[in-house]
Amino acid sequence: MSISPETETWIGKSLLRKEDIRHLAGAGMFVADIRMPNMQDVAFVRSPIAHGHLLGIEKPAGREASVFTLVDLGAVRCIDAGPELASFRTTPYPPLAGDRVRFVGQTVAACIAPTRAEAEDIAEQVIVNTDDLPTVVDAVAALQPGTATLYDGWSNNAFIHATIAEGDIASVANAPVQMHRTLKMNRQATVALEARGVLAYWDHRLDELVVYTSTQGPHVMRLGIAQSLGLPEHKLRVIAPDVGGGFGGKNRLMPEEIAIAALALKLGHPVRWIEDRREHLIASVHAREHHYDLTLFAETDGRVLGIKGALHVDAGAYALWPSGPFMESSMAARNLPGPYRIKHLHIDTHTVATNKAPLGPYRGVARPGACFAIERAMDELAHELGMDPSELRRINLVSAADMPYRTAGGLLLDTGDYPTALEAAVEMIDLPAIRERQKTPEPDGRKIGVGFAVYTEQSGHGTVEWTKRKSRVVPGYESATVRMLPDGTVHLMVGILNHGQGLETSLAQIAASELGMHPDNISVRHGDTGSTPYGFGTFASRSIVFSGGAVAKACRQLAIKICRIGAHLMQTDTAETALRDNAVHGPSGSVSLAEIARAANTRPELLPQGTEPGLEVTATYEPPDSGGVFSYGVHAALVAADPKTGIVEILKYAVAEDCGTMINPLIVDGQIIGGVAQGIGTALYEELPYDEAGQPLATTFGDYMMPCATEIPHFEIRHFVTPARNTEYGVKGMGEGGAIAPPATIANALTDAFRDIGAKFLETPMTPRRVSEAVARAHGENG
Amino acid sequence: MTSTSFCLNGREIAQEIDSRQSLADYVRETLNLTGTHLGCEHGACGACTVEVDGTPVRSCLVLAVMCDGKNVETIEGTRTDEAMNIIRRNFREKHALQCGFCTPGMLLTARDIIRRHRAPNDAEIRAELSGQICRCTGYMGIVAAIKSAAVEING
Repeated sequence: MSISPETETWIGKSLLRKEDIRHLAGAGMFVADIRMPNMQDVAFVRSPIAHGHLLGIEKPAGREASVFTLVDLGAVRCIDAGPELASFRTTPYPPLAGDRVRFVGQTVAACIAPTRAEAEDIAEQVIVNTDDLPTVVDAVAALQPGTATLYDGWSNNAFIHATIAEGDIASVANAPVQMHRTLKMNRQATVALEARGVLAYWDHRLDELVVYTSTQGPHVMRLGIAQSLGLPEHKLRVIAPDVGGGFGGKNRLMPEEIAIAALALKLGHPVRWIEDRREHLIASVHAREHHYDLTLFAETDGRVLGIKGALHVDAGAYALWPSGPFMESSMAARNLPGPYRIKHLHIDTHTVATNKAPLGPYRGVARPGACFAIERAMDELAHELGMDPSELRRINLVSAADMPYRTAGGLLLDTGDYPTALEAAVEMIDLPAIRERQKTPEPDGRKIGVGFAVYTEQSGHGTVEWTKRKSRVVPGYESATVRMLPDGTVHLMVGILNHGQGLETSLAQIAASELGMHPDNISVRHGDTGSTPYGFGTFASRSIVFSGGAVAKACRQLAIKICRIGAHLMQTDTAETALRDNAVHGPSGSVSLAEIARAANTRPELLPQGTEPGLEVTATYEPPDSGGVFSYGVHAALVAADPKTGIVEILKYAVAEDCGTMINPLIVDGQIIGGVAQGIGTALYEELPYDEAGQPLATTFGDYMMPCATEIPHFEIRHFVTPARNTEYGVKGMGEGGAIAPPATIANALTDAFRDIGAKFLETPMTPRRVSEAVARAHGENG
Repeated sequence: MTSTSFCLNGREIAQEIDSRQSLADYVRETLNLTGTHLGCEHGACGACTVEVDGTPVRSCLVLAVMCDGKNVETIEGTRTDEAMNIIRRNFREKHALQCGFCTPGMLLTARDIIRRHRAPNDAEIRAELSGQICRCTGYMGIVAAIKSAAVEING
């Protein structure tokens, strides 16, 4: 049997997305859109202070039965979160605060009423009695001796200290060039436009608790909720309906999910909580907040030899299940050598507890910070050495001939040609023209500058990598079930989730290619533990590698059976058949998939002897080398900045990237553009500052600056395609890459714009205030 | 409660409405028209955009009772609108949506832009969109879709 090449053309086609149709009709079904009889809404009472003992909760007179505290929830277990390392201090994170509150916004009580408005009326009458404990808001200062600790019995505020080292940093101690810099990427929110939401009820017919939740991984959440509630998993069904963006922020078990599930068990009617934007900004998953203190060791010709330093990650008050905050610091440290031939690395990492909302993943996880640190440092070094930054990169980049190359961070870069991508970015942004333009002052008084940054994006990493990270859940595989129905159409059930990535389309393209079908005849189902095979969800740019692989594998197994039945119906040999154009073709005729599916499902007397009826296969898949494959790219930006107001405008932005084989280039471009837009948010706008008392200062979109259409430029994208050696079709994950490089790219462009005065841009976001202050400071130093 | 009557998606509504209820909550929770999405509930993101008497408004900032005597259109009311269906097709062809949450508000805003600008250029479209947040697409597809839909609709 064979699958004809002309049916494989679905791979690489910019097929328009299946999922668009319902969303364009306004007919998507998000958690808040689900209606259940007798449903009641919950409003949470949240801690108004950053740190204190919870002395008591006064329920409003007459409404006592509508207010639930931790003891009212019944038996709830606080499950351990964070890496399975003895050196990691686990922290119980109760769904509602017990005897202590540790950040503003922590859930304290749940109020229930027929509408959210009425629930909020009750919530505002609840009195929370606390005393004040010393507040910790600075992750570096938090480790100073004598600082108050968030947890009794901890010797300091670190969840964990760990050193990431490779090579021998002492061997470069006498390097002729040594450059020290401190850099900071500030805290931000993840801001899916659909905030989180949970709806839970007991289904008496199926004798199970149903939890609808806006999550990226319903199977894993079922495990966490089941353990928290002490429910066997067969009595818990978790459903992620349409999910309005996730970006990592919906990939951790959160206290509201446990509280709502517990309330549904207790109350016997459907209970719903829909996060509002204020709750999202103060109490949902927070991200980033890295402090770097780095020394680069280099030769005078620009070759970088080693990096030494410290990284503090401000992890907030609790570890979120399953992974906790440790991955942030270890990944950041391991990514510091970037795509460069740097041999020696020694980074002391500190993952620090503070009185802020807990840290979690956000698009790029750790790497936007690491990329900002190393790519800024490379530019700083270039300026110190009087070299053009793109030239310094050329000297240090891993070349195509070096591949596969193990970095000092222990990452095995698999395939690609980084220098060619750099050249493409230089050409796309037209570096010579910019250098020429810079010779004349801009008529509007602004300064223009060009910046580059290189990034890599690990994806498709499985058992080996996640075990190395001591992950509590090891997302080492994905599953897919392909089921051909009696008319020859297909249901494809997968364990990942589609929340904007177009996977209902791209996975159908894969199945269509393997089964010789049209994607229109394939429906992709996901997000329901009750109807999909086990899987870990969509995060870490893993779904196209893992789920795409599982779909391909399951479909190939099904194709064998289809051909065997087709051969029997045509009275020919299976070896003589080919599957294409919705039919199995033999030497003298063909039989349609519908006829084969009919025989397999409803007319078993037509099947060859010994063939089991039905057309259904479930397969699991992990790439043969589970260390991961690496997409990569180079971003280039031309910016104009006003030295007085500090306002930055992006005049041009170019991306040269390589994510291996593209299943659907339209979707790939969309992921790149969307990622870069988020990276621009990190670079210039988005920040969650806290005051000294631990009060969050950005609680609405009035003070949390979201990039809009006027802030985001038009993008130019150039693709290179170096297929991965290890994955189906040579795909690499690419959902996060766009968000990794923009902070470094834009900061490098600003540095270039103000190179004449040496203004320093070492902290994100580069708000008008930070930019104008950096310029004023440089003038002061020069003057 | 206030006695309120208005026209919604071509249908006459006459109801006692809680005076403090927003138009968004009213259409979503009372009428179960869930295509109007709530992204911030303070008028900043534009996901809840609906039209009142032909003008786009943020339904999270409008009280339902304020619509007395007015004509309200939500995304559900646009399903047979010819111009909107051209805009929808262009949104799909230009990959102007990913998760779909901002999409209903974007579509209503897009139709309004196309009504007021015969052939808007990129800068005009971006300025007009500055009150609509999309977290997924980076806006490029949305701008392209509005531009091409305008050409198709306005000729």
